Amino acid sequence: MRKAFSDALVKAALADERIVLLTGDHGYSLFDEFRKHCPKQYINAGIAEQNMVGVAAGLAKAGFRPIVYGLSAFVPIRVLEQIKLDVCYESLPVIFIGDGAGVVYSSLGSSHQSTEDIAVLRPLPDIAILSPADSHEITQCMRLAFDAKYPIYVRMGKADLGPVHEAATPMEWGKLCQVKTGYGKIAFIATGSMVRAALEVAKNWLDSPVWSVPFIKPLDTEKLVSLCQHYQALVVLEEHSIYGGLGSAVAEIAGTYAPTRVLRIGVQDRFSHYCGSYSYLLQEHQLSCEAIFNQVSEYLNNAP
Amino acid sequence: MPIFEANKLRRSVLEMAYAGSTVHIGCAFSIIEILAVLYRSHLNLGSGQPESSTRDYFVLSKGHGVMAQYACLRELGWLSDWDIHNYFGNGTKLKGLSDAHVSGLEVSSGSLGHGLSVGVGLALAAKRKGTSQRCFALVGDGEINEGPVWEALLFANHFELSNLTIIIDKNGYQAMGTTDEVMKLGSITEKFKAFGFETREVDGHSETALEAVLQELTQYPSPHPKAIVAHTIKGKGVSFMEGDNRWHYTRLTAETFQAAMDELERNLHS
Repeated sequence: MRKAFSDALVKAALADERIVLLTGDHGYSLFDEFRKHCPKQYINAGIAEQNMVGVAAGLAKAGFRPIVYGLSAFVPIRVLEQIKLDVCYESLPVIFIGDGAGVVYSSLGSSHQSTEDIAVLRPLPDIAILSPADSHEITQCMRLAFDAKYPIYVRMGKADLGPVHEAATPMEWGKLCQVKTGYGKIAFIATGSMVRAALEVAKNWLDSPVWSVPFIKPLDTEKLVSLCQHYQALVVLEEHSIYGGLGSAVAEIAGTYAPTRVLRIGVQDRFSHYCGSYSYLLQEHQLSCEAIFNQVSEYLNNAP
Repeated sequence: MPIFEANKLRRSVLEMAYAGSTVHIGCAFSIIEILAVLYRSHLNLGSGQPESSTRDYFVLSKGHGVMAQYACLRELGWLSDWDIHNYFGNGTKLKGLSDAHVSGLEVSSGSLGHGLSVGVGLALAAKRKGTSQRCFALVGDGEINEGPVWEALLFANHFELSNLTIIIDKNGYQAMGTTDEVMKLGSITEKFKAFGFETREVDGHSETALEAVLQELTQYPSPHPKAIVAHTIKGKGVSFMEGDNRWHYTRLTAETFQAAMDELERNLHS
């Protein structure tokens, strides 16, 4: 996924000299190609994220197309007020990239883990929230983001999980992407790294469809209402807190338009207590495929 | 042709303050002469319209002093008498803090420590586009408690933003007391010099001195960003407000409004 991201960035910057990439001293080899092909469009703003977002706002006001890159633990968390006031309030076309979302930085601890980024951005007017699941989705997301004229946050989670789409799939702004068909009792709805997990777990319910949600905001309300009406329960998976993320957004839509049961599977109301590999941290947060299967089974068996 | 007479601007501020009831008066009064000089003879307004593409940028980072800028925009004809007299009225557009949705204001800086970074971005954009646009940013001495201000200084120096001039309104007060009482600043001038800025000190109420230092610095052949530490008096211009921090955010009564207007009127014609 990172190569697809880098390729999309370089391609866009070569085509549009207004594109400027700002990073808060992060990225390492991710930007080797960008620096090689577009050195004048690369700015290392130092370890000073608040100023970086303000500078991006100034550049955008003067006609540039800034891309602000950081770990999602810092962008948007550390700079939320700058995103709100300097960028969103004027609806400036700044693209924020939050890398390593979820518990990707499993061994570094809670400072570098990010399970609240979707929740803090959803209430900000004018910003779109994109959460691609694989290289195909991020290529499409970046293409659509470059065409947009307002603030966008692109959430990048675990990057090396492999594709969930068999081939490049045209994506439409704000729409869900179906990655497995089926018409059973439950539907799986997942975003980012959890789409792959949803596909794996759904093998236990062969007649259940799986949908990827690359657009958290705007969210495909019409399609979700339709799913609410067709299925006895929706199972929503995300590598994010169960509060304020995709699960909450789906539950809001269900509660408003088509009441049905929504099982939110994500990080419970707790920080990571232990250190370890990425897969270990998923287990700790009950996000391994086995743990997800158990939660879904228990939920369905205990249905009133 | 607007003349930006300081005490006339102060009278505009008082009109707004009285209409709006509770507003920031002291911090608007301390920057009146700085704004008068900038608007009169240093800011290139381009085609004369607020959104002119060739304009110099003026960023009021200490957004709570915005009434002083509204007073200047009134002189330019960009705000009307009605706007001033209906300040804070329901459905009106002028808020108590700088808001970029108002034509003529570059940033929304109600939250302190934001404006300078946006100004740095504007200055960087002008440099990269190869235009002659400059950016003047006015920062409060209390405001520089905020961390992002220092991030912005590092950035401006590193990227050699010679088209950036920061003016520090050093009135010695912030909301809850003097800057020494709340958060010791030490020498602002030495700090800015240490951050790589070509720095000068000036009497922030002497228009002659301000004219001279702005002239000198903007002509200065140097890759460095510039800073002017302007020594000012909070509440300057009305004797019973000067140096009294209660006027940071205080309601004008009919009596205090009239007394202040009378004093400014006398000074206007003296």
